[in-house]
Amino acid sequence: MLSATGLYAHGVVAGYDHRRPVIDAVDLAVAGGETVGLAGPSGSGKSTLARVLALLHRPYSGTLSIDGHLVTGYRHHAARALRTRIGVLFQQPRLSVDPRMTLRRAIAEPLRAARAPDVAARVRELAELVALTPDLLDRRPHEVSDGQLQRACLARALALSPGHLICDEMTTMLDASTTAALVAVIVDYQQRVGAGVLAISHDTVLLDRWADRVLHLAPTGRLDPATGRDRGERP
Amino acid sequence: MVSADTELAVAELAVTGLSVRFTIPGARVAAVSDVSFTVCPGECLALVGESGCGKSVLAAALLGFLPANAEVAGHAILSGGGTPPLDLLTAPDRVLARTVRGRRIGLVPQSPAAHLTPVRTARAQLEETVRAHHPALRRPREHAEAVAARAGLNPSDLDRYPHELSGGMAQRVATALALVGDPWLLIADEPTTGLDRALVDALVGELRRLVDDGHAVLLITHDLAAVGRVADRIAVMYAGRLAETGPTPAVLDTPLHPYTRGLLDSLPDRAFTPVPGLPPLLTDLPAGCAFTPRCARMVPACGQRPTLADHSGHLVACHRPC
Amino acid sequence: MADLKVHRPEPPAAQALGWRPAARSRVAAAGAPRSPRWRLVSSAAVLSVLTLAVLVVPLVVGLNQQVVDLSAAYRPPRPAHPFGTDELGRDVLLRCVYGLRVSLAVGLVAALVSTLLGTAVGAVAGAVGGWTDRLLMRVVDAVASVPHLLLGIVIVAVLRPSLSAVVVSIALTHWLSSARIVRSEILSLRARPFVDAAIVGGSSRLRIMARHLLPNVAPHVLLAATLMVPHAVWHETALSFLGLGLPPHLASIGNMINDAQRSLLTGGWWMSLAPGVVLIVATLAVSGLGGVWRDRLNPRRRSELSW
Repeated sequence: MLSATGLYAHGVVAGYDHRRPVIDAVDLAVAGGETVGLAGPSGSGKSTLARVLALLHRPYSGTLSIDGHLVTGYRHHAARALRTRIGVLFQQPRLSVDPRMTLRRAIAEPLRAARAPDVAARVRELAELVALTPDLLDRRPHEVSDGQLQRACLARALALSPGHLICDEMTTMLDASTTAALVAVIVDYQQRVGAGVLAISHDTVLLDRWADRVLHLAPTGRLDPATGRDRGERP
Repeated sequence: MVSADTELAVAELAVTGLSVRFTIPGARVAAVSDVSFTVCPGECLALVGESGCGKSVLAAALLGFLPANAEVAGHAILSGGGTPPLDLLTAPDRVLARTVRGRRIGLVPQSPAAHLTPVRTARAQLEETVRAHHPALRRPREHAEAVAARAGLNPSDLDRYPHELSGGMAQRVATALALVGDPWLLIADEPTTGLDRALVDALVGELRRLVDDGHAVLLITHDLAAVGRVADRIAVMYAGRLAETGPTPAVLDTPLHPYTRGLLDSLPDRAFTPVPGLPPLLTDLPAGCAFTPRCARMVPACGQRPTLADHSGHLVACHRPC
Repeated sequence: MADLKVHRPEPPAAQALGWRPAARSRVAAAGAPRSPRWRLVSSAAVLSVLTLAVLVVPLVVGLNQQVVDLSAAYRPPRPAHPFGTDELGRDVLLRCVYGLRVSLAVGLVAALVSTLLGTAVGAVAGAVGGWTDRLLMRVVDAVASVPHLLLGIVIVAVLRPSLSAVVVSIALTHWLSSARIVRSEILSLRARPFVDAAIVGGSSRLRIMARHLLPNVAPHVLLAATLMVPHAVWHETALSFLGLGLPPHLASIGNMINDAQRSLLTGGWWMSLAPGVVLIVATLAVSGLGGVWRDRLNPRRRSELSW
């Protein structure tokens, strides 16, 4: 299943207790340019799968490949070049930003870590993309709303132009308008860059509208074989 | 079931001109400005708006939970129950604690698991609340189980600790705790956040059952989809003010305020297009209509703040309604 | 279903007159800072006076101007000598000021060194985790199980009493609390998504520690250092009182109390009481400020319902 661009997971078993893995023999493919939705009841392991795919959690078994490169290490043991091909958005924007940093600094962090040139211009560009006004950029997280924070998190996730975006319940704390706005930015980015997106949510109405195909993670930790728009009865 | 019909007949929460502002170093936050509405038993009023628009502050003001740096204006008159009408905004904390909280107004908070003591079982906390509200009862355990059953919990579920409860069960425990003192008005603060569609449906069903039973529900949420199924009336808040209020079918099918229309259009099962721009910060609101920078229907009159105008039961604060 | 009532909201002019403070609930009061204002003011005032005295007096009087006047020896407190005179006729108040200067200076340096040591240990344990963490925490437990004054005495005895020995003794016995504080802060910070976001963004371990973890831990570290100063001062005083502390030419409060022991039996109560009182007042002021600061650092200022 190795190919030029795409996120491929094969036979992934992962969890927090060897005897009771949260995800069990999961095969997942997110090709460049497509949006794959992942739905399932809370506690079914969607976040764990997201963390494995983002190289943040080592699975017990299974293989993962990103753009043809086989993944051998996770977290700090994963090659920087591989880690930065992925962008991640988390459910709670308030915990996803360093409380002592202004939004400007938070968005600039990946650029600084990569020693990118012209950080200030790039931050301006990213802020414009997510509709954050300059005066908001100089505020700290406790001075802005959840919606504005999540916009900043999206700007940060897109800073290094990743080829893959993992959105882990990113809209759960947001209202309808901010949800639509962020999804629009992501879709636009996808079309420009050809990135693949894994959208995780328990909001099946949203996934139906946003994703090209929707997978279901059952409480057993296995992916439901049925995919695509008409899904029939859910357990 | 709410107790006496005579109580029901005159029970009412009438909020007029409620405003709340906070003073923080270097700024003044106008969290709620001039909000008026009424809630009576047997109906559900949904207060809708995006995060940071002041909805939760309103709930805090009604229950007397505002922090020390807050100031209020306006009135929130709670009447019924055979006692003289009480202004919740001026009542001392003692009166609120002994007669209002839990007894006339119950609160179902956001993130229920965080509102439960982690080292005690659900049963222990429920029984403690029962003993607090009904000290004369000789067998609080049975009353606790009855209340829990009404909220859809099995007696065996009650013996779990909060961290062992799933999201849905924790929500039901919180609802049970709110109902112990038999309040006629329930304030539900973002109860659907983080819940699966199935759990949202269950919660919405419970709230509707409570309304049909004779309770009143003030549902604070940004989930427009849930609102359609349970609310009788919807009040839309923007930047701390009421933008539109009216019966649910009217607001959802024929919204008058451009913001409401924009919110509905941003739903994934409708146009899925966002309202352009960002809401204003509550620390510097403009003199005129706060929605002006984002409004496609702006006219010169929008430089003056609009007041709520009545269109046969459907109120809107706009100089050029849709 | 009730009829919809039509509301005519009050005109803005009436609104402007209606503002009043919100009812104070116990929930709101619980979130407010617990230290009353007077604690802050009194601590700050006392500390300012003492600091001023400690800095200014030596400049005015001259560093070694401790006038020996045997004819005025053993005078009890009176207007000319508010704290009396000692066996060499030196003014006790003046000696207290000099002594406090030494005690506070040694206490400050020692508190700083011990906090830095504790922070380093706690940061490594919290960030690296695994066996390193377990090993370091067992070391903490081991040191904690020994009475710290006893350990301090042993260290000074091994290193021979001197200024640096005293500082080392305090540092090696008082680093535990800051190690634990820093470790638990780092553990809780590491679990937050913003650290995960930094990893995905390509930050190295060192960068995350330097840019994210340590800056967030810094206020706790500074606070721990401040709260450690009274402990350090008392430890030094105890060592000096036992004759194991600072050398005699560096007269700290502890040395003074030690010297005054003999005079106690002959009725010279002011020579040991005065330094003791000065030390208590100084350390109470530092603790008071530290306490106010600590309350400000961790308040649950807003109730759960607030925006």
